[in-house]
Amino acid sequence: MSTVLIFVGIPLAVILVVAALVHSGSERNRSNRRYRPGRPYEFAPIWFLSAPEQVTAGSGEAAQPAQRPAIEAGIIEDSAGQRVLPGPVGGASDRW
Amino acid sequence: MTAGDPRSQELTALDEPGGDTISAEPEQTTTATGREALDGPFNTRQLLRLDEALRVADQQTGLTFSVYIGDLDEPVRDSAEQLHKRISHPETAVLVAVSPNQRVLEIVTGHEARKRISDRDAKLAALSMAASFAGGDLAGGVLSGLDQLATHAGKH
Repeated sequence: MSTVLIFVGIPLAVILVVAALVHSGSERNRSNRRYRPGRPYEFAPIWFLSAPEQVTAGSGEAAQPAQRPAIEAGIIEDSAGQRVLPGPVGGASDRW
Repeated sequence: MTAGDPRSQELTALDEPGGDTISAEPEQTTTATGREALDGPFNTRQLLRLDEALRVADQQTGLTFSVYIGDLDEPVRDSAEQLHKRISHPETAVLVAVSPNQRVLEIVTGHEARKRISDRDAKLAALSMAASFAGGDLAGGVLSGLDQLATHAGKH
């Protein structure tokens, strides 16, 4: 009886402890929050800047022309209320 | 040195002086935008590294770097350019727009920034970012892309 207890009971207890530790780990924080290609990405859009006040409200305000301030010096806008830049923009695109 | 009634001064973030310190409730130091950022795909360490990378890139180059991560409307290029226009002084701004759902990456450089970061350099950074994203490393890709763009722009 005590032989069974030592050679079956103790290994079984160890296995249970390890299994419990594995499943109680920080699974919630790590694997689900990460982006994986092909899986849906359902986080809110986020915009990072070193100084957040550098972003203006933009075209979202164009619907209420009464609340828009008069055109400031140096900013040119077209009839749709979008800013017109003095030169062309550059850059690159890519897909993965 | 204190002046005036100490009760009128903000000694801690808490209401009553002598109460718990901020370390007891660290979430009090987090702003609303900070809490939103913590709900995003990045953990705290990645957010700190991203913040540092943006700050260093801005300081070294004199350009304004920004990173947008979220869905872009079709056509993607146009909506990225609209976002770029919303940055103050868009001529010297560089926007990296990443849409993980559409698997699209756009780098928009302003008129002045384009003279420092040629479209070829931007494409090179875009390639390395896309390679990281394809491996599922969102933060690493953004960081390496920012680093490359800032390096190509050079010091101001």
